[in-house]
Amino acid sequence: MSVFFRARMVVTALFAFCALAPACHSSSGPSPAVADTTKAAKPIKIAMIAKSSTNPIFLSARRGAETAARDLSAKIGVPIDIVWLTPPTEDGQIQAQRIAQAVNEGASAVLVSCSDAGKLTGAINDAVARGVPVMTFDSDAPASKRFAYYGVDDRRLGEQVMAELSKQLNGRGRVAILAGNQNAPNLRRRVEGIKAEAAKSPHIQIVGTFYHSETPQDAAAEVIRVNNAYPGISGWAMAGGWALYTKTLLTDLDPKKVKMVAVDALPPELPYVEKGLAPVLLAQASYLWGNVGVTKIIDKIYFKKDVPEIVSMDAVRVSIDNLGAWARQLRQWGFPDVPEEYLKLK
Amino acid sequence: MSGRSTPIARLLRSEQAGLVAIILLMVVGLTLAAGSHVDPLSGRSVNDFFNSYTLIQTATDASFFAIMAVGATIVIISGGIDLSVGSVYALAGVTMGLLLRAHPGLGGAGAVLLSLLVCAGVGLGAGALNGGLVVGLRVHPFIITLGSMWILRGIAFVTSKAESILLPESLTRFAKAPLGLGAALYPVPMLSMLVVAVLGSLYLGRTVMGRHVYALGGNPEASRFAGLRLGRIQVGVYLLAGLTAGLAAFLGASFYGSVSCGDATGYELYVIASAVVGGARLSGGRGSAVNAMLGAVLIVLIRQSIRTLHLDQNYEWIIIGSAIVIAVVLDQASARFTARRLSERR
Repeated sequence: MSVFFRARMVVTALFAFCALAPACHSSSGPSPAVADTTKAAKPIKIAMIAKSSTNPIFLSARRGAETAARDLSAKIGVPIDIVWLTPPTEDGQIQAQRIAQAVNEGASAVLVSCSDAGKLTGAINDAVARGVPVMTFDSDAPASKRFAYYGVDDRRLGEQVMAELSKQLNGRGRVAILAGNQNAPNLRRRVEGIKAEAAKSPHIQIVGTFYHSETPQDAAAEVIRVNNAYPGISGWAMAGGWALYTKTLLTDLDPKKVKMVAVDALPPELPYVEKGLAPVLLAQASYLWGNVGVTKIIDKIYFKKDVPEIVSMDAVRVSIDNLGAWARQLRQWGFPDVPEEYLKLK
Repeated sequence: MSGRSTPIARLLRSEQAGLVAIILLMVVGLTLAAGSHVDPLSGRSVNDFFNSYTLIQTATDASFFAIMAVGATIVIISGGIDLSVGSVYALAGVTMGLLLRAHPGLGGAGAVLLSLLVCAGVGLGAGALNGGLVVGLRVHPFIITLGSMWILRGIAFVTSKAESILLPESLTRFAKAPLGLGAALYPVPMLSMLVVAVLGSLYLGRTVMGRHVYALGGNPEASRFAGLRLGRIQVGVYLLAGLTAGLAAFLGASFYGSVSCGDATGYELYVIASAVVGGARLSGGRGSAVNAMLGAVLIVLIRQSIRTLHLDQNYEWIIIGSAIVIAVVLDQASARFTARRLSERR
């Protein structure tokens, strides 16, 4: 009897969840503008699977995808839905499951940034075998049957980080590398690039490569710990901008003694450029991951155009000279928290 | 009463009836609520949820948790807890990957058999470590397995150098064998889950060792006075938890085709949640292997429903967390209700 009692109550609870459903209804369905203009045509569903929905850089990619979907939909007269299937935290296995789920639910194409290329290769190949084309962005699965990849060359990006830092240090100094998650293949390639470039400068000494959880607090704490342990550090080559999402390094480090160059230039990082602690940031135009990704997918599945297998993205060099233009670009891409003072700069 | 009961009445009175009813209700509800799409290969209209691909995919997603949950439930019935199953999964997978990489000539059945033995061996070894420390040091299993959770993942991290290791094709072919169901339908993990749940159920319900596990969890003092060898039983349950984690690792790694030290991070909480939703009492003495499997299926079904109903994925953790708390609270209410009825009868 107690089992039935429990069952009745759990069912009641599940119905309560269903009643709550409208309160947490997804924005991943078609946008009203799209639905109004293109009611008759059969929609194109693009499943977008980034690495983690808690990383702001992927939220900007989502905005880019949704904007491209809206614009292209108005142009071709077919509704284009972006179905956001990104897991809350990085997990290649969950991403593989979500690719399969997208195919099971009738996705027309999949756009994915791979947390673990090895785990996703099989799922991508299964999707392609079932007639669903897959494109990768940001982090590739080169051994899979995906039709295209859009993103930066990570090794080259690492080399650019070190080259910029070397300029800031006049080719001389002790440099630490902030490397994020050691599991991420794209970050490993950036670190390889940083080290390769550093090896070209005889007076640059790498004191170590430091890994950490990819949260702003953990990254900033790692920088402070390493700085205390190696007092002579004059430069930080950062494979990602995590530590600069906090404000703590602005007060803890002296821009006259330490210089940083990091990948990414999101709104919280811009004060580091202004104060001179990170005179150069190399931004990935994350908005374009989604925007260009959706455009290329529509080129492939709707216009039947040939899409190059590798669509290369160049990093944007952000310094005090173009801080205002970059801030306005970020605002245009939908970032709400760009400091007002930077929007007014030249 | 019992003499006149029919098989259907017995089924309805069984401890699985409540969970099965909830799962069936959810399947019906999701089928009705889901949309449909045209399959790109066959051209037929297919329900987004009730199709063979989604149903087997849901069972596959649940199978890795469910297999571990059977072992974890046996530990919980004994009054213990095992937080290390996710790390055992990662270490077993990494060990298997490294061994196969060291013997590149090994393929076919040999690779499958070696991998199975290695994963089972690592699982048993980790279980022996946990059980031995719990019994030998007389420290609460929460602390011991919390420690081993970090230690085992650390070993996986150091030995793999945080690389993602690709596995031979023969393993993927084994785990993704269609068994006559057709392309892209992979029932092996689901069937393995069913086999492990049945074996776990037979062990708990039909063997002397299984009854001893219930006795230990239900009343350790009485068990001691009854002459049961409690230390041996405790070591035994951790061995089984390790073994099931090793088996899950073998299946998961073979299915997805690669391993890394980050695999199954945080899965221990899903595993414990599956056991608890399946009715296992954390204070020991109650639980069921089949119910643990059903608990895992229910949790994965809740996760699936978030996507099928197009709810915002950001609510996933809130919904799953709430469902678990509600299940446990209702379970306790049910127990109190039953106890009151029994006392009223007396």
